[in-house]
Amino acid sequence: MSAPALKEGRVSAATLPASRMKMTADSSGRKAWAPYLQVAPLTLVLLLFFAIPVALVVVVSFFRYQMLVGLVPDFTFKNYVDILTNPTNWSLYLSTFKFTIIVLAITFVLGFWISYFLVFHVRNLMTAIALFLICTVPFWTSNIIRMISWRPVLGREGLINQALQGMGVTAQPLDWLLYSDFSVIVAYVHLYTLFMIVPIFNSMARIDKSLLEAAVDGGASRWGVVWNVVLPLSKTGIALGSLFVVTLVMGDFSVVTVMSGGLSGSVTSGMFNDLQFLNYPRAAANAVILLIVVLLIAVAIFRLVDVRKELVR
Amino acid sequence: MNYAPTSISPAHSVHTKGAGEIRLVNLTKSFGDMDAVKDINLTIPHGSYCCLLGPSGCGKTTILRMIAGHETPTTGEIYIGDDMVVGKTPVERGTAMMFQSYALFPHLSVLDNVAFYLKMRGVGKEERRTRAREMLERVQLSHLANRMPAQLSGGQQQRVALARSLITNPKVLLLDEPLSALDEFLRLRMRGELKNLQDELGITFVHVTHTQPEAIALADMVVVMDTGRIEQAASANEIYNRPATPYVARFMGGQNVLTGRVESISPTGMVLKSEKGEIFNAPLTGAAPKLGEPVSISMRRDRISISKPQNGKGAQQADAVTGVVDSTEYQGSFVKVSIVLDGGETFVANMPDHEFFAEPVDHGVPVVARWKPEHVHVLSKADTEGTKDPYAGSGH
Amino acid sequence: MALPSYGKRPWTFYVLATLFTLFVIFLYGPMISVLILSFQGPSAALNFPLRDPSLMWFDELFNPRRVGDVPGAFRRSLPLALITMLLTVVIAVTAGFAFRHRFRGATLVFYMAIASLIIPGLVLSIGILVTARFLGLSANWYTTALGAHLSWTLPFGLLIMFAVLGRLSPSYEEASYDLGATRWQTVKDVVLPIVFPGIIAVALFGFTLSYDEFPRSWLTVGTLNTLPLEIWTMTTNVTSPALYALGTVTTIVSFIVIALALGSILLIQRRRSGSS
Repeated sequence: MSAPALKEGRVSAATLPASRMKMTADSSGRKAWAPYLQVAPLTLVLLLFFAIPVALVVVVSFFRYQMLVGLVPDFTFKNYVDILTNPTNWSLYLSTFKFTIIVLAITFVLGFWISYFLVFHVRNLMTAIALFLICTVPFWTSNIIRMISWRPVLGREGLINQALQGMGVTAQPLDWLLYSDFSVIVAYVHLYTLFMIVPIFNSMARIDKSLLEAAVDGGASRWGVVWNVVLPLSKTGIALGSLFVVTLVMGDFSVVTVMSGGLSGSVTSGMFNDLQFLNYPRAAANAVILLIVVLLIAVAIFRLVDVRKELVR
Repeated sequence: MNYAPTSISPAHSVHTKGAGEIRLVNLTKSFGDMDAVKDINLTIPHGSYCCLLGPSGCGKTTILRMIAGHETPTTGEIYIGDDMVVGKTPVERGTAMMFQSYALFPHLSVLDNVAFYLKMRGVGKEERRTRAREMLERVQLSHLANRMPAQLSGGQQQRVALARSLITNPKVLLLDEPLSALDEFLRLRMRGELKNLQDELGITFVHVTHTQPEAIALADMVVVMDTGRIEQAASANEIYNRPATPYVARFMGGQNVLTGRVESISPTGMVLKSEKGEIFNAPLTGAAPKLGEPVSISMRRDRISISKPQNGKGAQQADAVTGVVDSTEYQGSFVKVSIVLDGGETFVANMPDHEFFAEPVDHGVPVVARWKPEHVHVLSKADTEGTKDPYAGSGH
Repeated sequence: MALPSYGKRPWTFYVLATLFTLFVIFLYGPMISVLILSFQGPSAALNFPLRDPSLMWFDELFNPRRVGDVPGAFRRSLPLALITMLLTVVIAVTAGFAFRHRFRGATLVFYMAIASLIIPGLVLSIGILVTARFLGLSANWYTTALGAHLSWTLPFGLLIMFAVLGRLSPSYEEASYDLGATRWQTVKDVVLPIVFPGIIAVALFGFTLSYDEFPRSWLTVGTLNTLPLEIWTMTTNVTSPALYALGTVTTIVSFIVIALALGSILLIQRRRSGSS
């Protein structure tokens, strides 16, 4: 069987690495309880700092809030009703969705073509890896620092305005560069494009180059190869990248707060306000709604593409 | 598979005679400072089955990929028919390639893989599927049309790849080690089918392989390559029986190579003397070499007879070498006897089994290997690299 | 007839190379301008041009009266990142090995890890804070914040281990057992050396994700800030190039960690391939 076919066959049989590794387990007589022991610390941490907290958020979202007392155990839908009947929340969701869609589109286009360039245009593998690392290094530095680093660039007296005025393109400094929807989107793209590049690059790097040649043999143009071969074979990477970008933008409050100068809000800004008044029940209800929305999007992406297959391959 | 004579409808086969002739002129391909292909000239006649044969890294795949248009020559020209094709797309060239991995699109069904070319040409969905289905019927895979490539066996994948190539109605079909991924049984079957297919289609096949029997069995023309150069391009029979160079003789297997200096020349032949003083008679072919010049000769393994030395005088006889048996391998119809000569080279005799078992020899037994002067073939190039064997121990 | 082309790069190469170059400028340009402006002179201008370059704003950082408790925040962030890194390596690597075998609940743990990765940080922050309340604990950087960070670094580490272990052929271990090695010897002398570069990658993620984490720290650190929170406060309070100086310092720390990690991976790779 051909190499790619073998790979495919193995992948469809193995959703987790386990089935590939099973032979070792059986032949070396490994104790059956060993995996449970090995996964126990992870499970413990995830239960303690993920599952239980999320469950408690759900519980608290039905509690009552009382001034000066704080949490009062109860079972009320008041928090949800408050949120859903408040038009401010709806407009916050609308604005968050708007940002999500714009940022998703930009990061996808950038991520796809940059990965395509690195995988299919850079001929030397070491050069491609080096360029890829250049793209990933900022990921390991502080998001907040990277955000505020736009201030001296986009500000009223920033580099761009200085340049534009210096060249005589504009007489007055452009105000909409900073503390606007524009700067919010710039910061999102700056911070999150990487989350698109990495999974798409991974998917593309796995495409057998002879598939592209076979497509050219079949009369495909350059664009035809991209559309008919590269794009469909990168879709797990695209899905994974989209999942990251969507959840990051939906759950963000720092970028929108800093970069809009307080002009725009996000879904989480609502929570933020409640938390400052120690209104935990309403913040929790808000969190639950956000969680449901994010999970629905994630499930939709998972249904579209078997992301797990990509992750464990 | 059973290709009916009408399998590829004549309406598609518009290629005129000579359209599929391939001509490589001063072709060179360098990767960095390494020359993968060095100044090659070769003409592959229209409608022939040509095998490019050589060890891995000899440049055969690079040549194939340059003909296909997937690699650009550093210098030189490639003609298909009368067209200089460097810089043209595969479709403009009229070539189709079958990849070693088959390169079936994993995201497309078998039917859509075969229909890919038609889709690229803008043929409507219904029509292209109908035509792809017809093509699949011809390779007897129509029942698998809706499967994905990963669900097929190796042999089935290969047929799909073949169907996908043939739907482009190529002048030239390029095959990159097409049989290497198959098991022995399928390999032999597909070998026969490829040959039949080529006969029926009458187009040029260029087939890259590193397996000698495959080339011998299939090719009208075998091109033996070594490190970017063509050692010999000729019919299978010619290559096998009259190898041009010691390299070809050794690589094809079935031959022993010996070297000596010209002692004397007569109108009927010449006498060579090896460094160890053995005397070999050889026929005179072509221009006579000068006295004292080194000349290499070869003789087929199945033309050698061996016997135990009598009175230790074996070496004094002409047309014989002495050595010690290293190993014997029973091959069914014959026995392969490997002998280590006094100088350390390996010499092989393939003996008919009845002859061998009449007087068996075993490891460590000193023997004399003999041949008749009329079975000696003179190589056009003297062996300068001593006993270098490209496929040490793999000869059949 | 068009001239034949001999290996010329297609025009798309130049278009995409330009796009790539612009992207890299977009990625690094602002960071570099912050780096330069952190050397701003006493004019305290937050924009270009740079006048009378000096180190005064770095000095200012260590003057708590003016800009808050930067050294204190650093003294919390660094150990927190190191502890997170250590725990991430130990827990993610062992868990990665568990997933090489079939066990009940594997899918559940896997999806829990993925969910933990994509849940909005603030939501989880609320949850952890509420949990601490219920347990009667107070939020602290070394308890609740550590847990919040682990909920983010562990899934990353696990995914890296999947990628690393997926490439580890079981025949290495089988060969090791064939040669009489015990299970522990096999792990110590065969498996760990092979997966070591992957473990460094897990450590790098563990450290930097924790060191730079903001949303998950926000409610969980308690009363004393970590560095990203200190910076967050400064973005609204501080209107001097000290903010840029702080950015430069933390970025340098990040770069040192990245360089150490990538350098050691490269060193291992070179030693493996270059010894011949």
